[in-house]
Formats: sequence, C-alpha cells, structure tokens
Amino acid sequence: MRVFRLWPLVIAMLLLCATALYSHHSFSAVYDGTKQTTVSGVVTKFRFVNPHAMMYLDATDASGAVTMWVVEFDGRLNLSNYGWTETSIKSGEKVKVTGNPAHNEPNRLFFNKLVHADGTELIRGGSRLSAIEEDRRQRARQRDQQKP
Amino acid sequence: MRTYVYLMSLALFAVTALAAAQSSHSKLEGMWSDPPATAVGNFCFFSCTDAGIERLNKLLDDPANDSRPVTQLIQEAKKYEREYLHDRLTPAALKPYPLDPLKDPGYVYCEPWGLARQMFAPHQFELRQQGKDRVELRYGEWAARRTVYTDGRKIPANLKPSQMGYSVGRWDGETLVIETAGVASNIAEWPFAADAATQHSDQLRTVERYTRSADGKNLMLTATLEDPWSLKEPVVLKKIWNWAPDQKIAPYDSCERPAETKKGGKP
Repeated sequence: MRVFRLWPLVIAMLLLCATALYSHHSFSAVYDGTKQTTVSGVVTKFRFVNPHAMMYLDATDASGAVTMWVVEFDGRLNLSNYGWTETSIKSGEKVKVTGNPAHNEPNRLFFNKLVHADGTELIRGGSRLSAIEEDRRQRARQRDQQKP
Repeated sequence: MRTYVYLMSLALFAVTALAAAQSSHSKLEGMWSDPPATAVGNFCFFSCTDAGIERLNKLLDDPANDSRPVTQLIQEAKKYEREYLHDRLTPAALKPYPLDPLKDPGYVYCEPWGLARQMFAPHQFELRQQGKDRVELRYGEWAARRTVYTDGRKIPANLKPSQMGYSVGRWDGETLVIETAGVASNIAEWPFAADAATQHSDQLRTVERYTRSADGKNLMLTATLEDPWSLKEPVVLKKIWNWAPDQKIAPYDSCERPAETKKGGKP
C-alpha cells in the first residue's frame, strides 16, 4: 500500500529527470527543469513540426479571462518514435498539460505530460523511460546475485 | 603454365577479397535508429566518452544509488563528462562557451546542422554502399545526406569549407573508417546538447569508425575529432544505434521557427 502511495512521487521525479535527456536544443536556457506547472484548457493549435512540435492552448480562469499558453515538445522524430502523429492532439479538445515553466515567459511550458478529456495520457519519453529503468533494475539484480 | 597458375591465384585472391569486402559492407548496410533503451544507451543519446561511461557505470554499480532515478544518475555522469570535455577546450573555444542556445541557427532558423553535430544525430541513420566507389549516409535529422568516397582517393588540399566537409572512406576488416576535412566552422555540440556547445573551426578533421556489435543488434561509432583551434588534444566521442530495418527517413519538410523564445536563467 505504501508503495502505491509513493508512485505519484516516483512519476514526478522521473518527469523532472527526463528533462533535457532528449532535447537537442535550448532547454535549460529557456525552461526551469526543477519546476512543474499544470494547466487545463482548450487546444487551439497543435503543430507536429521540426525542430520541435508546438501546441497553443486557451486556459480560462474563474473570472472568464482567457490566457493563451504555448507548449513546446520534443522534436517530431522523437515524438514519432513514441507513436505520435499530427492527430495525437486535436484542435478544440480539452486537455490538462504538465510541463517545465519558462524562466522569462509566464505562459510557456516544455511538455512533460498531457491528459486528454477521456483520461488517456501522453507522457514524455513514452515507454522508453520505463524500459531504461527496467534495464537498470535488471543490472542491479545481476550485481546483487554476483555478490559472494 | 606458371603464368596460368599465377593468374588463377590472382583471380581467386581478387574474388575472395571482393567477397570479404561485400560481406563487410552487408554487415553495416541498412537502417539504424536511436540508441538502445538502456542507461548507457541513453547516456550516449547524442554522444558520449569512455570517461563518462565509466562514471555512469560506477554510479549504476553503487547499491547506494539504487533508489535514485536512473535519469538522475545519467545527468550526474553527464555533468562529469561535460567538465572532462571542458578541460580539453582551448581558450579560444572557451570564449563562446557555453554558446547561447538561442543563437543556434538549427533551432531558431531551421538551418541544417554541420557535420560535427550531424554525425551524432540520434535518430535514423542509413548506410549504403553504392557500387565500389562510394558509401552514402542518410540521416533522419534534416534528412541530411553525406557521400563518402571509397575509391582510394585522398582528401583534396585547399578545399573550400562546406557544411559536411569532404569524406573519404575505407574498409578496415569489418569496420568502415571515414576521414573528413574541409568542414566549415560551425557549432560543436560536444559534449551534449546545445547547453554546453561551443564552436569548432574549419581546421576540424574527423575520423569515424563504424562497427557492428557481436550480436548484430547495434551499430557503434567511435569518432576522433581534431581541431587545434577548439581542442587542446584530439577528443574521442562514441555513439550507438539500434538495428531498425523498419524505420524510414521522411522528408524534413515542415520545419517551423518556434514561437518567440526568450532566454532566462543560467544554463
């Protein structure tokens, strides 16, 4: 039970640490890899382009004021490897997106996780990150077995 | 009679040599893409050094680190590797270091990479022997192409520097060895990503050695880079790809400048 309570923390740590592992551009100059921000809103545009995919989101607050958010993703080649296409995120859909905030722009994020209205999720790194952790666990098991 | 035997021996030798050469080619030819989904594979997502791999292995082998996310260990080893490579940069290369990533023309202006970055591009990498006289290399990033002449020619003197330079190659057993010079001054993205980039000069010379792993699943690159302007001594960088026959290289046809980006904080 205790293990299950720790999962959100583990996932959050993985997301934070996934930062800059795949990005080949200016991540730390623009974004704060130590912080996470979550925003809900309606997608106005998703551009599945090089060098990085971009999404534009309208978030409406309690007073009805609308703020546009810009979300930057990994490169299209990375996203394609996770199985993404240009229709993975659709204009007009409601999403909740979590990412690293920009240092100097209040409404800009670097994508870590997106939750669609139906609860399905897109996570940065996809299954690759889990495979790497599994490889590491296997390596630790082998190391422990070799101990005299 | 002696002449006949001599000619037959020569022909047999030539056929055997050709078969061996074709066998070497076929071991490397094909489509490769992305590093293995392992800690070391990801550590070398762009490129890595033996010193960095050794540091990562130490971290992974220490039971005290078992509770830390592997990505944290990779970042720690990368930090060590960055310092290792930083110590090998000349004062001239340290002046623009770390290069402002928002001056990266690849990111900001959709300008294709130069050789020093392109050879470490992480995704699709296709290697094909074209006849006996050249090898064609294609990359997913920027859908870039390189031609490597394998007809025994030398790199011409007084080349006009170009983005990818001029490459000649040869087969050393089952290893493809490529020498390149005449590369125009550009961003040198070593050790990892634009956050720690500097510049190299047009004096850059590289030797790439491509081999296939014993189990056939991976292609490994060992690249030696020499540039007296930016490096105090030659630097050896490594990289690894998975065998990926189903991958395709799509046209790099939808490059858009990202929405206006402002730099902030310290890289």
